[in-house]
Amino acid sequence: MTKRARLIQAYRQTPWRQQTQTIGLFSAVVVFVTLVAGVYLNVTARAATFGREVQYMQAEKRELEQKIEDLETRLAYLSSSQEMESRARKLGFQPIMKNQIIYVVVPGYSDRQPAELAPLPQQGAHQFTALPPEFTMSLLDWVSDVIYQLSVQTGGLTP
Amino acid sequence: MRLENAWRYSMLGSLFVAVAVAIMLQTVRLQFSPQAKVILDGGSLFSGAWQVIDAPRGQIYDRWGNLLAGNHTVYEISVELRSVENPKSIAFILNGTLGLDYNQVLAAVSQQASDQMVNVTLVDNVPADKALLLQQYMADLRANPVPSQDGQENASLVGLVFRPHLQRSYPEKDLAANVLGFVSREGIGYFGVEGNYDDLLAGVPKLLWIPSDPNLVEELPEIPPGASLVLTIDREIQASVEHILDDAVEKNGAKGGSVVVMDPKTGEIYAMASSPRIDLNEFWRYPEVFPGSNPFNRAVSQSYEPGSVFKVLTMAAAIDSGQVKADTPFLDTGYFEVGGIIIRNWDSAAWGQQDMLGCMQHSLNVCLAWVGTEMGASVFYDYMTRFGFGHVTGVDLAGEADGRLKSPGDGDWYPADLGTNTFGQGVSVTPIQMLMAVSAIANRGQMVTPHIVRSLVDNGNQYDIQPQYAGMPISKETAEIMSEMLAISLENEGSEALVSGYRMAGKTGTAEIPGEKGYTREITNTSFIGWGPVDDPRFIVYVWLEQPTSSIWGSVVAAPVFKEVVERLVVLLNLPPDVVRFGLTHE
Repeated sequence: MTKRARLIQAYRQTPWRQQTQTIGLFSAVVVFVTLVAGVYLNVTARAATFGREVQYMQAEKRELEQKIEDLETRLAYLSSSQEMESRARKLGFQPIMKNQIIYVVVPGYSDRQPAELAPLPQQGAHQFTALPPEFTMSLLDWVSDVIYQLSVQTGGLTP
Repeated sequence: MRLENAWRYSMLGSLFVAVAVAIMLQTVRLQFSPQAKVILDGGSLFSGAWQVIDAPRGQIYDRWGNLLAGNHTVYEISVELRSVENPKSIAFILNGTLGLDYNQVLAAVSQQASDQMVNVTLVDNVPADKALLLQQYMADLRANPVPSQDGQENASLVGLVFRPHLQRSYPEKDLAANVLGFVSREGIGYFGVEGNYDDLLAGVPKLLWIPSDPNLVEELPEIPPGASLVLTIDREIQASVEHILDDAVEKNGAKGGSVVVMDPKTGEIYAMASSPRIDLNEFWRYPEVFPGSNPFNRAVSQSYEPGSVFKVLTMAAAIDSGQVKADTPFLDTGYFEVGGIIIRNWDSAAWGQQDMLGCMQHSLNVCLAWVGTEMGASVFYDYMTRFGFGHVTGVDLAGEADGRLKSPGDGDWYPADLGTNTFGQGVSVTPIQMLMAVSAIANRGQMVTPHIVRSLVDNGNQYDIQPQYAGMPISKETAEIMSEMLAISLENEGSEALVSGYRMAGKTGTAEIPGEKGYTREITNTSFIGWGPVDDPRFIVYVWLEQPTSSIWGSVVAAPVFKEVVERLVVLLNLPPDVVRFGLTHE
C-alpha cells in the first residue's frame, strides 16, 4: 500500500478528521476576514480622525488669519498719529521748532528708508515650501532621485 | 447525524437561504425605489455645506509702514430655524443689545423651517464686542436656565449662529481721508486710493463645498488676499498739513481749502489735505458731509480759475520761447487792450517802468497780457498744453477732473481770452494740475507725474513704482531763471511766505470768481505755490483757500499758510537751514 493510499484510508476510517479540516479552513477564512476588516476599520477610523483634525485646522487657520488682521488693525489704532501725539503731550513732549534743532554730520549715517513690507521680486526668488519632498514625490521619483544622487557622488554624472 | 433528522436540517437551511435571498432582494429593491431618491436627497443636505471663504482686502500703509487702512472682525448673526427654542427671548435680547426691532426679529425667527429655508440672516457687521456679549449670554442661559418673562418656557438663545468676517477699518480715522476714500459694506471702494485701486485691493472670495464626511476632506485652495499698497504719504506731514489747513480755513472764514505737498523730483505726494474730511469709519455720513456737488477731494476733483499763480507758467513760456528775458523792460500804463477788452492791474494802477522781474513781483496783469500777445496765441497755448492743462495728470486717485483750457479753434474761444488766460482768468485747473505744471520749474525743466502709491505688495513681493516724467515743457535754463526770479520777487516783496533760513521761490494768486454778472472782486480764491530750497528743491507746496472772508488777497491769506507748512516740513524732512546745509556739505 502506498503512502497516499494509507492516508486516504486513515481519513475514511476517522471522518472527524475531515470535519476538523473543514472547520479549520472555515475558521482560517473567518480569522482572515476579521483581520482584514479590523485593519480596514482601524485605517478608516484613523483617516476619519485625521480628516476631522484637518477640518478643524483649516477652520482654525482661517480664524487665526482673521485674528492677525484684527490685531494688526487694533495695534494701528493704539499707535495712530492722534493717539501717539496725545500720549507724547501727556508725557510732556512738545513739537520741536526748526530753530531748536542742531544738525551735525554723522559719518556713515544713511537717511530713513521708506517701508519694505516684503522682499523685492528678485530677492524673493527662493520659494519656501512647508512640505518636505517625501510628501510630494512618488516612490519612483524617490528611487530615481537616489540613483541620480549616487551617480553624481560617484562621478558618473555631472550635475 | 441521524437520517430521520436530515430533512429538518435541510428545511432549516432552505429557510435561512430564503430569508437571506429575501433580504438581498429587498435591499436591491430599496436602492432603486422612488423613495430611495428622497432618502438620498435628504441625506445630501447634511453631507456638507457651501461656505464663502473671504479673501482679506489688501492693507494700505503710509511711506513708513504705518497702517492707514486695515481690516477688523465683525459678525453676521443668523438663526438656524430648526434649532430655535424660544423666539421671544432671541428677539428680546437682540432688541436690547443691538437695537433691532423686536417685532421684525420675532417674525423672522418664528418662521417655519423648510428645505428651502433653513437659516435666516438677522443682522450683519455687528461689532466684535457686541457679538461676544451675545455669545456670553447664550452660554450663560444654557448653563443657568432662566424662565422667560411669560413664564411658559426657559429663555434661550439656542439657534443663533455667529459668522465672523472682515470689514474695512481706518485706524487714523479722518487722517488722509480724502486720499484714501472708503469701502462700502458691500466691499466696493469709492474715491481716492480705495476707488482707484479697488480691483487690486479687493481679494476674491471663493464659495467652497466643505464636506461633513471627514474622509472626503481635501486641501482647501489658496485664497490670496488683495494686494497691499504703500503710499507716498508721510503720516506726520499729512497730520501737520491737515491741522494747518483746518486752522487756516477756520481763521480766514474760507469755504474750504486744499494743501498739497509733493517732491518735485519724483512726483511723490507727501501730503494732500482737503477740507472737509470725514471719519472713514463712518463713511455713511458722506452725503451729510459732502452735500450736493461738493467734491470728496478738492485737490484732484475741483477745477477753478487759478488767478495769478498761473503767471509763473506764462512767464516761463515767454522766456523759454525767447520772447522776453528777466530784464526785458515794460512800461506799465495801467491798461492793455486785447481782443477788444481792457486788461487792468489788480489795483487798477499804472506801475510805470518795469522789467519782467518787477512784473512778477508786483503781479501785473497788464504786463503779463502784453507778454502773452508778444508770444502769440499758438505759442502760448502750445506751452500750456505741454504743461498738461486741459487733461488729467494721471495721478492715481479716483475722480480726477480735467479742467478746461480753451484754445483757438474752440467755438467759445475769443482773442480776448489770450489776454485773460495769461494771468489765470478764463482757464480752469485743479490744484494737482498746477502742482504738476510748476514742478517743471522746480525740477529744472522736467515735469513729473504726481503719484500717491509708492509700492505694491502682492504674492509676497514688493514692487516699487518708479517716478514717471511727463515731458520737459521748458529748458533747464528757463526753469533756473524762473526759480531765481520768483525767489528774488518774494525777497523784494518781503512776502509773508518767506521762511527764515531757507530760500524759497513762489508766487501768490488771487482769482476773482466768475458769477452770473461777471467777475466780482468781493469773493476770491486765494492761493500760493512755492518750492524750496531754491538751489536743491525738496518740496513743492500748493495752498488754495476758497472764498476766504478775512481778506481777498492771496498774499494775506495763502502765503502765511505756505510759511507755516514749510516750517513744519523742514523739521519733518530733516532739512537743515541753507547755511547749515552748505556748511555740512563742505565739511
